[in-house]
Order: sequence, then C-alpha cells, then structure tokens
Amino acid sequence: MDELLGEFISETQETLEALAGVVVAWEADPSDKERLDSIFRFFHTVKGSCGFLNLPRFERLSHAAEDVLSDIRAGRRVPDGSTVNAVLAIMDRIGELTEAVVSGASLPSENDELLIAALNEKKLEEVKGEPAAAVSAVAPRREQGSAQRTIRLPLTLIDQLMNGVSDMVLARNELSRKLRDLTSDPDLESAFERLSSCVADMRDSISKTRMQRVDRLFAAIPRMVRDLCRDLGKRVELDIEGGDVEMDREMVEMVVDPLTHIVRNSIDHGIESPAERLAVGKPESGMLRLVARQSGNQIVIEISDDGRGLNSDHLVRKAIAGGDLTAEAAAQLTEAEKCDLIFKAGLSTAQAVTAVSGRGVGMDVVRANVERIGGVIALENQPGRGLKITLRVPLTLTIIPGLIIKAGGQQFAIPRAAIVEILHQNNETLSISRVGGACIATIRHIRHSMIELEDVLGLPFVDQHGPRTVMVVRSASGIPFAMGVASVDNHEELVIRPASPLIMASGVYAGMTLPDNGQPMLLLDAGGLAQAANLSNLVDDRTIQADGELAGRASAVETLSALRFEELSGEERLLRLSLVERVEDLGADLFGMSGGRAFARVEGRLLPVANGHHRFEGACITTLRLKDDERELCYPVARVIDIVQMPVNPDMVLSGGTISGIVVIDDIHLEVLDPFTLFGAIPLDAITPHAAVRCVIADKGDIWAEEILAPLLRQAGHNVIIGMPDEGIMQPDDVILCIGPDGTEALPGHQPVVRIRNLPTAKDREDKSVYRYDRDGLMAAISAARTEKVA
Amino acid sequence: MISQLYLFASIAGTPVAVMTEEIEAVVRVSEISPVPGMPPHIAGLSALRSRVLTMIDVAALINGRPTPRELHELAIIADISGHSYGLIVDAVSDICSVPDGELPLRGQLAPAWAPFARSIVENAGEPHLLVSLSSFIDPALTSQAA
Repeated sequence: MDELLGEFISETQETLEALAGVVVAWEADPSDKERLDSIFRFFHTVKGSCGFLNLPRFERLSHAAEDVLSDIRAGRRVPDGSTVNAVLAIMDRIGELTEAVVSGASLPSENDELLIAALNEKKLEEVKGEPAAAVSAVAPRREQGSAQRTIRLPLTLIDQLMNGVSDMVLARNELSRKLRDLTSDPDLESAFERLSSCVADMRDSISKTRMQRVDRLFAAIPRMVRDLCRDLGKRVELDIEGGDVEMDREMVEMVVDPLTHIVRNSIDHGIESPAERLAVGKPESGMLRLVARQSGNQIVIEISDDGRGLNSDHLVRKAIAGGDLTAEAAAQLTEAEKCDLIFKAGLSTAQAVTAVSGRGVGMDVVRANVERIGGVIALENQPGRGLKITLRVPLTLTIIPGLIIKAGGQQFAIPRAAIVEILHQNNETLSISRVGGACIATIRHIRHSMIELEDVLGLPFVDQHGPRTVMVVRSASGIPFAMGVASVDNHEELVIRPASPLIMASGVYAGMTLPDNGQPMLLLDAGGLAQAANLSNLVDDRTIQADGELAGRASAVETLSALRFEELSGEERLLRLSLVERVEDLGADLFGMSGGRAFARVEGRLLPVANGHHRFEGACITTLRLKDDERELCYPVARVIDIVQMPVNPDMVLSGGTISGIVVIDDIHLEVLDPFTLFGAIPLDAITPHAAVRCVIADKGDIWAEEILAPLLRQAGHNVIIGMPDEGIMQPDDVILCIGPDGTEALPGHQPVVRIRNLPTAKDREDKSVYRYDRDGLMAAISAARTEKVA
Repeated sequence: MISQLYLFASIAGTPVAVMTEEIEAVVRVSEISPVPGMPPHIAGLSALRSRVLTMIDVAALINGRPTPRELHELAIIADISGHSYGLIVDAVSDICSVPDGELPLRGQLAPAWAPFARSIVENAGEPHLLVSLSSFIDPALTSQAA
C-alpha cells in the first residue's frame, strides 16, 4: 500500500476510535463547542487528505458531514438525535471504507447517498427560529494545551528493539559470568556495573513503549452504551474513571472483549427499563460506572451498575435443570457460590434470547478469556440494587514474578500468584496418605488432592538428598491442590513469551521464558496441571466444600483488612482499615501549624494532624481521618493505593516509633503504622475539648488585652468578647478574664473568673492570679475555671 | 521458475528439497531442553541468542520414534505463523535453483511421507521430495500423535 495512504488510513481509524466517545458526549451536551469542533476537525481533515489521495467516496461523505456540522457551528441548525445518528452513521461508513481500503475489498456505494440524505433530511424545516443553544459558547477549554509530541512507529520496530535489548541482557549476563571467572579488577567491575545499569534502564524504557493508556480500552464504550440504550429503550448514565492508567498494549487488546461483554450484559440484563426503575423507586436512568486503577502490579477494572443484580436462585434452578448441579449440592451453596454459577458454561440469566446478549456466549467465555491472561474476575452482587464485576489483570503479559521449581532433573517456572503455600514434605503440619491410588495431602486439617509434578509430566523421579517440597497451588479457577516437586530453587521476575502452539496444545504450559543462564524454561499452567491430573473439580464435593469453609475460617483469623497508602515522603505503608473512618481530599489551606502542633480545620472543628510536619504541594491533600473510640485525627498521605489483606501478626515486629512491624504483600515489604503510637502522640489537651469556651475580657481598652491576649485566646480556639456584655447575654460557663488583682466587685459573682497579673511572682498565697506571659498557666486556668463552674 | 532456489537436505535418510523462502537459516543444533509430556517429534526448546526455538525432530514424524539426541546435528530455522521453529535434519547438501522446477509425484508414496510431500524436485539427477516446512508443525499432527 502506498505510504501516504497507509498513514491516512491508520490516522483516520485512530481518530475514529477516539471520536466515538466525543460524539456521544456532544449529543448529551450540544452546547459543548469544543467537542463539536473536534468532530468538525475530523471530517475536515478527512476531506482534505482524501482530496489529494483521490478517494472520492471519503470526500463526499466527509464533505456532507462537514457541511451539516458547520451549520451547527454557525448556529443555523440544532443538533438533535437524528442528526447525531446520521453523523455517527457517516463515521461508521468511513470506518468501513478504511477497512475496505486496507483489505482491498469493495463496498457498495449506493448506501452513501442514503446516509447523506439522512443527514440533510431535516435541513429544510430547520431554517426557522434558532435557539441560541449552539451559540452559548463556553470559553474554550484547552485540555491538552501542552500535548506531548509523539511520533508514529511500526510495531515491528518496537518488537525488534525489545528483542535487541533482550539479546543485550543475555550478552551482559554471559559477560558477567566470564568476568567473574577471570579477574577481580575493581576498575573493570565498576565499568561493567555502569554498563549493566544502562542496559537495565534501557530495558525499562523499552518496556514502557509497550504501555498504553486504558483510555483506549474505554474509547468504544460510550458509543456502545448509547447504541444499546437506543435499541433497548433504556436510559443509562455512563461514568468512566481512570482512563489515564497505563497497561500493556497486548493486555488492552485481551481485555476489550470481556469488558464489552460485561457492559452489554449489564445494560441488557442488569439495568431495568425506565418504567421498571420508577416502579421500584430508582431514578429513571441507570448508572453504569467503569473504573480503572492500578493496584500493585495489577490493573483493576470495575464495572458496576445499579440494576437488578443477579438472581441467584434463578441461577441455581437453571444449573439444576441443566444437570450441572444436584439439588442437595445446591442447598449447601453459599450465596457467593450461587452467583459464581453464572460462570458455568451454558448458563444465561436472560429469560429470552435478545439480539444484544444471551446468545450462549456467556460469562464462562468471559472468565476463560480473563483467566487466560492471568486475570481474576469477581462478582459483588446486591440483589435488586446492582452488580459489581471486578476484573483484575496483570499489568503486563510479559513479566511476571515466578518460582523456579525442579522436577525430574529439569527446571520449570510457575507463576508466583498461583502458589498459596510451600512446605517441606517432612513438615509436621503436613501428612500425606495414599488410598486406592489417590493421594491426599492433609495440611493443618485441610485435605487437598495431591499430585506429583513428575507423574503429571511423565518424568522420572530423581533421587535427591533433602526432603521433597509440597506446594499448595491454586489456579485462577478451581480448587487448591497440593503438588509435589523435587525442590523450589529460586524466585525471579520472568520475561514470559508465548510458546508455540505445538507446546501450548498439551495444556499444561502457559508459556516459556529464557532465564539468564540461556536455557529455555517452560512456564507451568496451574489450571492445566489440575486438569491433566484429572483432579475433581466438582462444586458438590462435600469434603472440599468443608475444606473450603475451614480454609475460609482459617484465613479470616489470620488476616485483616488494611489500607495501603503512600506517605507524603514516598514510602508505602499499611494501616488497619478499621481505624480509618474516611478518606477525603482537604484543601491545603485548611492545614495549619501552631505551637509546634499541626491541625486541620474540618467541618468547623480543629483536628490534630498526625504527621503534619510536611509542606504540602498542590491544592488538595488526600487525608485519612482516623478515629479511636473518642478522638479523631487527620493523617495526610500522598495517595491511597488499595485495600489489602494483611496478616494480623506482621512478618517482622518492630517496637517503638510509629512503625509496628513489616509485612510482605505482593512481594513488597510494607511498614505497618502503629495506631497506638499515633494516637498516643497527640496531647490529650488537644485542640478540641475546650474549643467552645467563651472568654470575656473584662478590661475594654487595655492594649495588652486586646492586642496580645485576645489573639492568643482565639488561636487556642476560644471565642473572645472584649468588654463586659450585658448581663443577659452572659452564659453561665463564660470565663471572665480580668487584669489586675482588683475589681472583683464590678464582676458578676456567679461567673468563673481568671485574674491576670503583670508580675511573674504571686503577691501572696491568696493570690490565684496568673502571670500574663505564662501561656500554659493561662490556658490551664481558663479550663480549670470553667470545669470548676460546670462542676 | 528458474529463479526458485531450493535447499537440498536429507531427513530420515530421504532426500528432500525445501523452498528457500521458507527458511531463515540453517544452524548447528545446540543444547535442547526437553519438554515433558510432548509427542515424540517435539524434541524440546533451544535458545538461539534471545530467541527460543521449538525443536522438531522431523525424522520422528516419519519413523514414529525419536532420533537419539547425539544425532541431532543441523536444524533449519523457520518462522511459521509468528513462532520460531528449528527443524532437525540429518544433513544439508546444497542450495541451488533447478532448471526443471517442480515435477509431479510419480509412484506410490509411503504413507508416512504423504502429509508432507507435494512434488518432486530433481537435483544432480537425483529426485528429492519437495516438502513444506509448515506441514511439519501442523497442530493436527500433534493431537493425533498425542
């Protein structure tokens, strides 16, 4: 294909993809000039480019659309539903045409006229009165004012670069081995170190070229939602968040299908029709939320709706009818397990097959697709109130943490995520029994089916010195099982590449990797191993059922939810979730510092700030609001990362300081904040308790009292009134401050009084006055006077 | 047709010809890591710089039994549908063009060869079976064999 033409095609396709969402947003808010402009620009560019590329059909279509849009821009026409439809239709046609140009196929052209006619249909009747909708131009928002400069590169070039760097790493490793054998020259070694770090940096940046914003994944969703809603007569509000999260390009492609499917399901089956929604007291239009965020080395995509949720009983009935489940087994299922039935092949919640979904390609396929890329799919069902589906997929397909294990004299890799536990065979919590050929490993009263890796792969058992190792393996689906291997050798970040179809056909391998020693190694597929060993995977297996419960209970005891966050200083730490009352963004101006104590103004109160000795950047600070049974404090953080399960007992216990211990989660060690020290560090007479005291300064006109005392009291959170108010306004617990030892007669006797003297030393024993520059004494006297009175 | 180049080699003692377009390189076989649980003709994996090759013991496909490791000498490297393969051959004799081009198959071909051979190419007066490399890695073969 001609180079210019190729560029035009790929550019057009890319813009089309990005624009689908824009058109829908524009339809929702026709006064949005900026969106209109970008759509107009698209057609204009297409028209311009195809003029000299000699693509008359593109030109005619884009010209027609441009005309209409320019009318709208000029306010001569109002964009309505049918106009938007016609514009969308033209965009679709342009998309089809580009495809056709790529594949060299031809597309019948008579429809073009129809499309153009549809576009112009309303033109005549629209010349009348013009609402000013389109003219109410908002000041143009420059969202990507300083767009990054980019260039377009062929994928193959990037792949070549990637391979080149891999070669380089291997060469480096070989060199490193040779150097180790030969010399110990520090100069040479430091030069080599420098080379190594350059290579490592380069590898990192090359891997970044593979990353892509999740935006691209979401680009097609608004259009799809709009079209589905029209077809099904539903109203849905779409909310997309987190499009700037980045993930591996291949990953994006792998997730598109499952995501599309889930969104379709949600609109078709989840969200009710407007009438039904009104009947059950919900707002007419449904809510569909797509959120993407990064959590450790995973991308979490949440799709939640406020529709009717899953009907678990209906699922169970279907499963029983389909013979997948016995009635007895069904009775034992927990609610969550019932919902999980939706992932069984051939189950669909749809009462009737519609054009949109329910065609038999069900959630089982979605789950299979997600799991194939090492992801996990989870449901959170609230019957009648909605369904949340969470996809967790690895950040990249290519690099995963893995364990190197040995069996039959050969090394294999297995994804770290699939391993629950590793034990030596002679561990006392483990017992292995064989019954009629079946092998059962009992670990802490939980029975697992056990397989030996050598048996599954048909390898000979090699004699060895130490005990064999048993690992508890859990595939993304299915039940954990025990697997015996000769040994676990190492833990490495593995660069995984797809294995050839011949090898993948065996089902027990998930890919291959080339470790630093240059010996290719196979990555085992946990699910495939279980399948190859014919392990029972039945839901109604009672032992496993009970085991599962036991395991659930055991793990509930061992872990607790913790909030993982990044400190302002950059460390990642954990904090018990139960202490966090809420997380909110507070304006930086709400934070203040006085007398070495940091505080924040929240909801009209002053709350102590735990680590307030930072200078804040930016207008908003993410703040954790922590609460013990009575006191609250603010804890500013850089960002909140995730909610994780952390073991109750940290892996390493530290005492003293704000860190109580260190736990390892996802191979990262994280410090755990000690709530005891945290709350203990706040002085008890914090800013809150006596904040409400009203102080009356009796001596009006005294400069010291007005200029020095009053600000001090205000700063301490008291209300200050200067001069004696009328009798009626005084509240019984107002504290009167008077300067000088005299004048008692002038004061109402039933009010608490604090006397202030000018001299540091008291006149005599009877003198209860406070020296005026004794700040602590003053504050103490005020609260003492008040409590005395109240008591 | 004159310009068509063929690589002449021998597999399981049978002279064969391969179109050079299918070939990336011919290399000496280095260490092969075995892949357990595979049909006999998949010899294992081998690293060629940073690439990992799936090594195919072509003779095993024909004979039905794996060739002893020490006889693995030369491999034809080919890139087939995005994956790199090394096809192990007994020997490589020549690369040249053939004046007569492809000749139709005559005689009864042994069933073992039938899925792979297309026609005959003559070189230096000797007939060679023209084989297609991609036919050796047809996944259907694997599932039959497995």
